Amino acid sequence: MESATHDPHTDVDLSVSLAGVALSNPLMTASGTCGYADEYADFVDLRELGAFVTKSITVSPRAGNEYPRVVETRAGMLNAIGLANVGLEAFLSEKVPKLEKLGLPVFVNIAGSTVEEYLAVAEAMERVDIVRGCELNISCPNVKAGGIQFGVDPDAVESVTARVKNACRTKKLIVKLSPNVSDITATAAAAVAGGADALSLINTFTAMAVDIETARPILANRTGGLSGPAIRPIAVYMVHRVYTQVARQAGVPIIGMGGIQYARDAVEFLLAGATGLAVGTALFVDPGCIVEIKRGLTNYLIQHGYTSIREIIGTLRME
Amino acid sequence: MCNETISRRGVYPARVLLNEAICREHYRLRLKLAVFPPSRAGQFVQLQCRPLTPPPDEIVTDWPDDRPPSFTQPELIGAEPLLRRPLSLAGRQDEPDGARLEILYRAIGAGTHWLAGVKSGETLSVLGPLGNSLPIIENKPIAALVGGGVGIPPMLYLAGALRQAGKNVTAFCGSRTKDLLPLSAGPAPADPHGKPSLCAAEFAAADTPTVLATDDGSLGVRGFVTEAFAGWLDARKDAPEALVVYSCGPEAMMRRVGEVCIARGVECYLSLERHMACGMGTCQSCVVKIRDETPRGWSYKLCCTDGPTFAAKDVIWE
Ligand SMILES: Cc1cc2nc3c(=O)[nH]c(=O)nc-3n(C[C@H](O)[C@H](O)[C@H](O)COP(=O)(O)OP(=O)(O)OC[C@H]3O[C@@H](n4cnc5c(N)ncnc54)[C@H](O)[C@@H]3O)c2cc1C
Ligand SMILES: Cc1cc2nc3c(=O)[nH]c(=O)nc-3n(C[C@H](O)[C@H](O)[C@H](O)COP(=O)(O)O)c2cc1C
Ligand code: FES
Repeated sequence: MESATHDPHTDVDLSVSLAGVALSNPLMTASGTCGYADEYADFVDLRELGAFVTKSITVSPRAGNEYPRVVETRAGMLNAIGLANVGLEAFLSEKVPKLEKLGLPVFVNIAGSTVEEYLAVAEAMERVDIVRGCELNISCPNVKAGGIQFGVDPDAVESVTARVKNACRTKKLIVKLSPNVSDITATAAAAVAGGADALSLINTFTAMAVDIETARPILANRTGGLSGPAIRPIAVYMVHRVYTQVARQAGVPIIGMGGIQYARDAVEFLLAGATGLAVGTALFVDPGCIVEIKRGLTNYLIQHGYTSIREIIGTLRME
Repeated sequence: MCNETISRRGVYPARVLLNEAICREHYRLRLKLAVFPPSRAGQFVQLQCRPLTPPPDEIVTDWPDDRPPSFTQPELIGAEPLLRRPLSLAGRQDEPDGARLEILYRAIGAGTHWLAGVKSGETLSVLGPLGNSLPIIENKPIAALVGGGVGIPPMLYLAGALRQAGKNVTAFCGSRTKDLLPLSAGPAPADPHGKPSLCAAEFAAADTPTVLATDDGSLGVRGFVTEAFAGWLDARKDAPEALVVYSCGPEAMMRRVGEVCIARGVECYLSLERHMACGMGTCQSCVVKIRDETPRGWSYKLCCTDGPTFAAKDVIWE
């Protein structure tokens, strides 16, 4: 594996700029699949990432949904965690000191059931240096407080984005879009009109798995969000549509996610127009996959004669 | 002495030394790992139930120069599951060339059926060790272990550890019928009236007399193992403070063991099972309701990191 003399890997530039935030490479964690970073400390050096995205934070702590909360499906899984999180106060006192030690740009995913709740978390983040931006979760399919009511109607997307953007005076605002809409370019355009600095797509698909013996849904919440390799082709398609129809013209970068497990998956998203790449479900299988994905991306770029990862973003050939 | 790198939990390759059927549905898997962090009874691993050698090179985009990539889609590799499977450590031995881990599993679904087809010499990926452990308590000289079905494996690891700590240990194991019990016979016969004997080879190796119970009476006592255990407990003359009970198995069984112990003032620890995605404390899927001082009277704890072992008195059953 190791080359004896010179290492071509150091000649390839993986760095990207995400709405003005410099990342050493495009890889990020997908919210809710990485906790608050310390959980994975034994398993992988998270400094391999370009940025860290936290689990959704709400103003008050949330216990989450009843058990069972997950079920595996073919090439994926459903989750209905219900935004279980420690709440704003504990996040600031207990989690932020740990995130500071990471030495990575941090984006805090924020959720709420009212605009005021989003604003309270966003305001609080203004005072945390390590936090470079907020990711507005208006797309959690599992609880009312997850903001899905803001995420499926373009007018609501625009107004909630604009109001939170107002609170993000020194921080970037990423809007995380739901795939549970008939036209994702409409909600993407609305987020951009509201002032989003970047777009994350996609969150999970609302779905259901059934216990055929009891004739009941398996999850206590009845429905859950589908993630993992199963959703990747739809995610790639949605990233490409939003990139070509909304984001490229507006100069707004996309963080692509949905089923990224191997480097080849990451390349698909880059070609489709993503600048950032978030890894979620695959971290459960092996947190070290981010190191492998980075290595594979470097190999891909070398083998295709590129010197920077930025050269391939959005270069999918449609002719 | 273990150095810093191997004291950390992690993902480790493991060579299969043995993978054999031990009864109608259970298999014994012995793994050899060049390195594995220290582990304790009650801990578990997340085993990847799919081949380790694929993914093919082109999937990690690391194909050799002389061979063009074929662009296989990763979803098409096979029908093996995506997520890992949590399995308890049933024992461990450290040799100069690495650790030997013992796992007993029941083939019931996609992952464990795939596992049952794995051959000696193949390599698997082990993530662990995970979870807290079954506590060995200093001032409790007498221990009883109550295991049912796939809850028996952690009890084997524990029996060895308790005997090493000089405890007086008795095991109680149950199954529906004789050929569903993941234990080998002997050297002594199983007593049909519930008198402990060296009737299970795996417990006998840890010098632990055992009571076996089957629902249909095909081996040992006829009936539930919990009742054989309760009878044994009631016949003892020791002060309740001298005893500690550990249990792992079906939820109804553990619940009953907990009730029996709590009613008699005997300390009791249960090793719970929950569906898990990560096993590392990030996904929040494996919640257990645990009694506490909060206004609501309970909080969700994570089975994978706060557990799988909890004190019976703290568990709130659904
Ligand atoms: C801490 C812990 C320790 C365990 N130790 C052992 C052991 O030593 N030996 C043993 O045979 N089994 C053990 N189990 C149960 C074992 O994890 C399941 O039998 C196994 O995951 C089934 O996988 P499958 O693909 O064959 O079944 P499927 O039914 O196809 O699995 C589908 C999904 O459900 C999950 N699942 C199914 N049954 C269980 C279960 N009982 N508990 C948790 N998740 C489940 C699977 O992990 C998978 O994600 C343990 C479970 C836990 C939580
Ligand atoms: C267990 C689990 C919990 C999640 N929690 C959150 C969350 O709190 N907030 C959020 O915006 N997205 C959450 N997501 C969605 C992911 O961030 C991501 O958008 C989605 O899973 C698709 O990526 P993947 O296929 O790589 O997992 C969660 C996903 C999973 C699997
Ligand atoms: S299995 Fe993911 S938190 Fe326990």
